[in-house]
Amino acid sequence: MKKTGATKKALVSAGVAGFTAVKVSGRGRLVTDTARIEECRQKLLAMGVNEGSSQADTEQLVTSFLDESRFFPRRLFTILAHDEDVKRIVDAIIGANRTEHGIGDGTIFVMPVLDAVRVRTGESGEAAIW
Amino acid sequence: MLLIRAIIRPEKKDDVLAELSNAGFNAATIVDVVGRGKQKGIRIGGMVYDEIPKVLILVAIENADREKVISTILATAKTGPEGTFGDGKIFVSSIDEVYTISKGTAGL
Repeated sequence: MKKTGATKKALVSAGVAGFTAVKVSGRGRLVTDTARIEECRQKLLAMGVNEGSSQADTEQLVTSFLDESRFFPRRLFTILAHDEDVKRIVDAIIGANRTEHGIGDGTIFVMPVLDAVRVRTGESGEAAIW
Repeated sequence: MLLIRAIIRPEKKDDVLAELSNAGFNAATIVDVVGRGKQKGIRIGGMVYDEIPKVLILVAIENADREKVISTILATAKTGPEGTFGDGKIFVSSIDEVYTISKGTAGL
C-alpha cells in the first residue's frame, strides 16, 4: 500500500529530482461497486477477530471503517516541470501507483504555473524550474 | 476543470465536507495548515498570534459546478449572519489535465 518510496524512485528515473510532498488525508468519489466493498469487508473481518475482540465489536469497527465518508492518509506531491516533460512524469506516477484494486490509487492534476523564481539566483521563468 | 482551494476554520471542516458530499462532491483532499489573513493575525494583550490553525480543502470539479461548490462552502463555512474575520478564503484555479491513476486514463 505504501507508494511514496516507489513514487520517489519512479520520479528520479523519469529525470525529476525536485518535488514537495505533504501528508494529507483524502477521499475520492463514492465506491458504488458493492461486490468490491463486500470483498474488502470480508478481508478485514478475517483479520480483525481474535481472542481479544468479539465478533460484534469487529463488525461494528469494520462497518464504520468502510463508511463512505472516511478519509484516508495520502501523500500530495507538487512537482514543477517544463511543459514537454508533463507526459513523461504523469506516466511515471501512474506506473508506480496503479494497483490491481482498481480504486483509491489517486489522482493527478496538471495545472499551469504563471512564473517561478529561484531565490538563490533571482532568475525566473523556465530557467528557475530545474 | 477547476481546483477549488478553500481555507476554512478547523471546527467547520466536518460541516463543509458533509455539505459538499450532500451536494454530490464527495472527493476531497484535506491539509492542516497555519496562516494569517489581512488582519495580520490576532493580538491579545501584547501577544501576536500570526500562525492561526486552519484547514485547507482541495476539490477538483467541472467548470459547470463552480457556483454550486462555491456557494455551498460560503454558506457552510461562515460564522454568524454577517460572517467574522478568520472565516477563510476560497481560491479557484484552472486545471489543464486530470488523470485517475486506478484507471490510467485522463478525466475526473
